[in-house]
Amino acid sequence: MTQSPSAPRSSLFAKYFIALFAAVVVPLLVAGGSEAWFGHHDQRARLNDLLEAEARSAAAKIQDFLDGIRDQLAWTVQLPWSDGADERRRLDATRLLRQVPAVVSLTLIDASGRERLFVSRIGLNKIEGGTDHSASPAFKGVRPGAAWYGPVTFHAGSEPFLTIAVAGTRTAVGVAVAEVNLKLIWDVISAIRVGRTGEAFVLDQPGRLVAHPDISLVLRADQTAIRPLQALRARITTRNGQATEGRDIGGHMVLAAMAPIPSVDWSVVVKQPVTEALEPIYTALWRTGALLIGGAGFAAALAYWLTQRMIEPIRLLEDGVARIGAGQFDHRIDIATGDEFERLATRFNEMAGDLAVSQERSERIGRLKRFLAPQVAELVDRSGDDSVLDGRRIEVVVVFGDLRGFTAFSARAEPEIVMSFLSEYYDALDRVVIDHGATLTHFSGDGMMVLINAPVSRPDPALCAINLARDMQKTVQFLLRDRQALDHRLGFGVGLAMGPATVGRIGSEGRLEYTAIGTVVNLASRLCASAGNAEVLVDMVAAEAVDGRAPLVELDAHVLKGFDQPVRVFAVGEAAAG
Amino acid sequence: MPCFLRQAARLTRREIIALGAIVTVPHSVHAQQKATPVIGYLGSESPEPYGSRLAAFAEGLAEAGYVDGRNVAIDFRWAEGQYSRLPALAMDLADRQVTVMVAPGGAEVALAARSATKTIPIVFELGGDPVALGLVASLSRPGGNLTGVTSLSVEVSLKRLEFMSDLFPAARTFAVAVNPTSPTSGSQSRNLLATASSLGLELRVFNASSEPELDAMFAAVSQTQLAGLVFTSDPYFAYRSRRLAELAIRYNVPAITQARDFPNAGGLMSYGGDFRQSHRHTGIYAGRIIKGEKPSDLPVQRVTKVELFINLKAAGQLGLTMPPSLLSSADVVIE
Repeated sequence: MTQSPSAPRSSLFAKYFIALFAAVVVPLLVAGGSEAWFGHHDQRARLNDLLEAEARSAAAKIQDFLDGIRDQLAWTVQLPWSDGADERRRLDATRLLRQVPAVVSLTLIDASGRERLFVSRIGLNKIEGGTDHSASPAFKGVRPGAAWYGPVTFHAGSEPFLTIAVAGTRTAVGVAVAEVNLKLIWDVISAIRVGRTGEAFVLDQPGRLVAHPDISLVLRADQTAIRPLQALRARITTRNGQATEGRDIGGHMVLAAMAPIPSVDWSVVVKQPVTEALEPIYTALWRTGALLIGGAGFAAALAYWLTQRMIEPIRLLEDGVARIGAGQFDHRIDIATGDEFERLATRFNEMAGDLAVSQERSERIGRLKRFLAPQVAELVDRSGDDSVLDGRRIEVVVVFGDLRGFTAFSARAEPEIVMSFLSEYYDALDRVVIDHGATLTHFSGDGMMVLINAPVSRPDPALCAINLARDMQKTVQFLLRDRQALDHRLGFGVGLAMGPATVGRIGSEGRLEYTAIGTVVNLASRLCASAGNAEVLVDMVAAEAVDGRAPLVELDAHVLKGFDQPVRVFAVGEAAAG
Repeated sequence: MPCFLRQAARLTRREIIALGAIVTVPHSVHAQQKATPVIGYLGSESPEPYGSRLAAFAEGLAEAGYVDGRNVAIDFRWAEGQYSRLPALAMDLADRQVTVMVAPGGAEVALAARSATKTIPIVFELGGDPVALGLVASLSRPGGNLTGVTSLSVEVSLKRLEFMSDLFPAARTFAVAVNPTSPTSGSQSRNLLATASSLGLELRVFNASSEPELDAMFAAVSQTQLAGLVFTSDPYFAYRSRRLAELAIRYNVPAITQARDFPNAGGLMSYGGDFRQSHRHTGIYAGRIIKGEKPSDLPVQRVTKVELFINLKAAGQLGLTMPPSLLSSADVVIE
């Protein structure tokens, strides 16, 4: 029990910590992860919707720009032509030029395709010019009451222009054809903002840049430079018009959506840098991530705390058990958790208390065995109760035995011989005492004191004592007979007396003895002292108690030291006879 | 420098600190000079008549993110009306290795700048066809170290004659003012003569390239009872709008020029490009070039806005009634 058990292969702390941590973190991760995943998807879909709405709104603005011009042109084709010059129409036309800055020139053509009026910002105005426009695509293409849009042309290879023709509801009112400088869409396109830095641009059907916030890109009319923009449109087209990711001219990743302008077959594309468009998503992801990390940290702290709380009493128990096991029975395990651990600790404490009591008792009994006959000791041991050893007054028989001539022998003989003789002497007497169930209370040199009827009561103690004394004499005489040859003048005398005495344990905790105190002890001692070799002297009380069941011979009354009156003394018959 | 450092290694600590101060100060000044880009601004006149144009230029520059004195420095060179000095001033700017040269206010300035450098980017501002002037290969791809802004002022010279003819439908002969020193005078004269013949009109051409000539021209027009005076587009005239208005009032001559400053100062009419737009775009281009764009990648921009200004007060003083076709075309009518 002194050796502490080897360290466990896996600690309970780690197990509980992992279990508790996982119990909190796994659901957190699952919830956070799925939230982030689905949130990302929803946001992404919403972003696409938003961008597509932006594209439609941008397309509507460009459409408004064109519709505004068309509506203005419609005013000029309401009345049928007369033969002569029409001053009112000229005023209308000049007013239109002032009203619509994008219109560079306006041609009014009558039903037969003849040019009746031409007004321009740059060139000379012409009244009744008469040029035949009947074969021009604008005149041929336009339907009554509708508008016709020509292809985008780049003047001097730079500025984008568009021809718009509007026919009146009746053929007689003719057709108005306007040259529109598309550079002026810039005001519209540059005002479109998608998010913070996103922007819109317009491509015509063949993929030429019609409008872009950077006007110089339009004016460059460079097909290679705008290839990324065309690619962007192509990507959206392949995805059936859904918003998609791609690269813009600067090579930056952008999110783009498209809306068509059917009347001119243009595409309005809005784009927003991916980093900006996805910023809210990333912000949300970062937030979720931070929350997860924070949650995991909290879970770890919580798990650590809980585990610590759980493991602490176990450690205390382990430590306590180790101490108690090491014999420290006064150790108490102090746990006040109010749960099973506290109950367990209480059990351990009780156990330690019981162990302490039992050890103390076994120690005491061990000590008692020294002076109790083994049967007595066994009795005390079995009953677990040493109250028989408690002090009391009782009728006992005290037997004293003593060697004669031992002092001279011990002075003469070698110490080894003395000690070996004493050892044999005591061994023999001890056996006799044990055989008779008596209690050997005292050794002293060559003498000994034996108690009968205490601490274990015996029936007929006097007879038992006389038998014991006779056996003691017999044993010692047998022992001495062997020594006679060695010329050892040794003898053995025994005295016994019966009477009340105070019996019990006396002495300190370390040197405890069971003994008897009283006149009877003195009397027995004196009788022993006055007994000759091979003689057993018995006092009157014991003799009367035997009442003839043992051969006793009354001797002359002895005058004994410490006794005022002469004492009646009996000798055991055999001895007397011998 | 390594040799210098080796010597420094043997010096005491205090001496090294002193040396460090000496070495670093000129270095930081140099770094600052390198960090702040310099615009070389070549002006044909003096700052005063350029005032509103400079403001528009600064506005454009600010749009591109640059403010004079803060993150860009502007080095001005003024020819004070003596256009012959322009090439020398341009050379001076080229020698100073400016980041970008701005040559606004006409073909003369642009040509002078081009003659000074083949490497420093030049942003011009003029009212003519830069391709015809040989400044750029094409509007969309300028090609060399020049790009800029053109207005339609030169192209619309003939419209001025048309407006004047609208004002005086009965008149058959008009006076035309031409600056013979201008690179575009030839083409403008030809255009006007062709227009006149198509309208059935006659023109009397007056050459004026100096103050006395201007004075003499107005006097002559007033004496010869010509219906009206049409100015060709030329910066020399444009920058003297105030003077021209004074002369027009003094000599009671109905005149039309390219610049709105003229009717604003009391003249009758103007028709021409919006110089504030063109100068603003010049500023934007200068800024973009400073940012690192190449002039060959920046297409020449045409300011397509042309504006008709009419001063009704001047018309009243001249005893004229403006026809509705003119009034309806006017962008601004000054009452």
